[in-house]
Amino acid sequence: MLRMVALLLVVPCALAACGDAPDAGARVRLATTTSTENSGLLRAILPAFEAESGLRVDVIAVGTGQALALGERGEADLVLVHARPLEDAFVAAGHGVERRDVMWNDFVIAGPPADPAGVRGLRDGAAALTRLAAAGATFVARGDGSGTDVREQALWRAGGGRPSWAGYLVAGQGMGPCLTIADEKRAYVLTDRGTLLAYRARLELQVLVEGDEDLRNPYGAILVNPARHAHVNAEGARALLAWLTSPAGQAAIAAFRVGEHVLFHPHVGG
Amino acid sequence: MEFLTEGFAEAFRLVTSGDTRVLHAIWVTVLCTTTAVTLAALAAFPLGAWLGIHRRDGRGGWVFCMRVGMFTPTVVVGLLVFAVLSRRGPLGSLDLLYTQAAIVAGEFLLAFPLIVVLAHGATAALDRRVTETARTLGAGRFRTLLAVMNEARVGLVAAYLAGFARCLSELGVVMTVGGNLEMRTRTLASTISLEIRRGDFARGLACGLILLVLAVGTALLAHRLGKESRA
Repeated sequence: MLRMVALLLVVPCALAACGDAPDAGARVRLATTTSTENSGLLRAILPAFEAESGLRVDVIAVGTGQALALGERGEADLVLVHARPLEDAFVAAGHGVERRDVMWNDFVIAGPPADPAGVRGLRDGAAALTRLAAAGATFVARGDGSGTDVREQALWRAGGGRPSWAGYLVAGQGMGPCLTIADEKRAYVLTDRGTLLAYRARLELQVLVEGDEDLRNPYGAILVNPARHAHVNAEGARALLAWLTSPAGQAAIAAFRVGEHVLFHPHVGG
Repeated sequence: MEFLTEGFAEAFRLVTSGDTRVLHAIWVTVLCTTTAVTLAALAAFPLGAWLGIHRRDGRGGWVFCMRVGMFTPTVVVGLLVFAVLSRRGPLGSLDLLYTQAAIVAGEFLLAFPLIVVLAHGATAALDRRVTETARTLGAGRFRTLLAVMNEARVGLVAAYLAGFARCLSELGVVMTVGGNLEMRTRTLASTISLEIRRGDFARGLACGLILLVLAVGTALLAHRLGKESRA
């Protein structure tokens, strides 16, 4: 019986391993956030790197929290995320080495066109959130440890703490589902501009608050510490990191468009 | 490995320390699943028994439809319910989306065809003499149906359980129409999926273990019911 179970487990794994690229040295595992994958950025820029280096990049698109957890366990070679406090803690704990700024995009506060709480045109993210709380508006929060979640909490702290009110809904879902929930409930939501653009055809939500320095969203790439995990492809990860921050990589990021919109700004000269 | 022990320790801590969010998730899971599956069984048992009694009278179309329904992916059921309850959908004015009622509606649709198919199987396997005897004793259609359901009760309990199992740990409906809202529509299964995305694997495993305990409890209950009805 036990042997049967073992066989049932081993055979599919072996088959899957054969089907996958056997040469681990030619593969870089990039753990990153859903925003870079869903927006189409990585699909647009990575082929150039793959052609140039002969490496294949496997993108694992998850939330910032999970991406860092994967790096911590050595399940990824390079992480590309956006939550500076978590990134610094990751490096300080010795899980990662060589953090580099790669690019930035921005957060916006979106809401129903009628804007019952009257935040349209505000530029200060923290002040806008405080006004939403005071008005008792419905607000959909990510609450999933993602970079957006981390930023939202930072904005609340900057505004003197988050009051608790019945309209504050913690969805614990990705950005896309949260936008759908906010749209259905005619609620407000903090989102990265890229995901909102990708969903805009299906939503009534409009950008109401934008442009503040507080709403800038920088992305950093960190090498997973090869001293901790002998099996990580440090060489490949270093090559990808070097390319992302090179003039060629930065130009590719700057050239990426969704429709006519620029989504990500390269760090250099941005 | 340290992961598993951490998970066990965390599960124990969450339940004993009375973590309100986890306790609420347990409550939502049990409440929604029980309500949905019980409502589904109340409708599906008679329909399944009726199809079982009349199995030779060309009711195959019904059974076929239910068999197809049984295979519908939970996400698709979630999407259908979403389309109906959405602000732009036919029942949008009821404002039911992202409530426990929406989860119950979705899980009802998941459990109903499955229970009909299994109830049909359980009653169709009965000796034809059950119906004939009931009729000779002067039972009307309704009494005959009750007699058949009574004879097939072991199979019906199994059908109920299968429905329960399908709904207890499903994600497609609770994420799409429940919205996974904390302290409102968040279930154990959606908590697990969230904790994994958050990178807190131990907490996710802990919630998985709690879910498993619920499953063991349900299975034990069914085991007892099965024993009693055989006696």
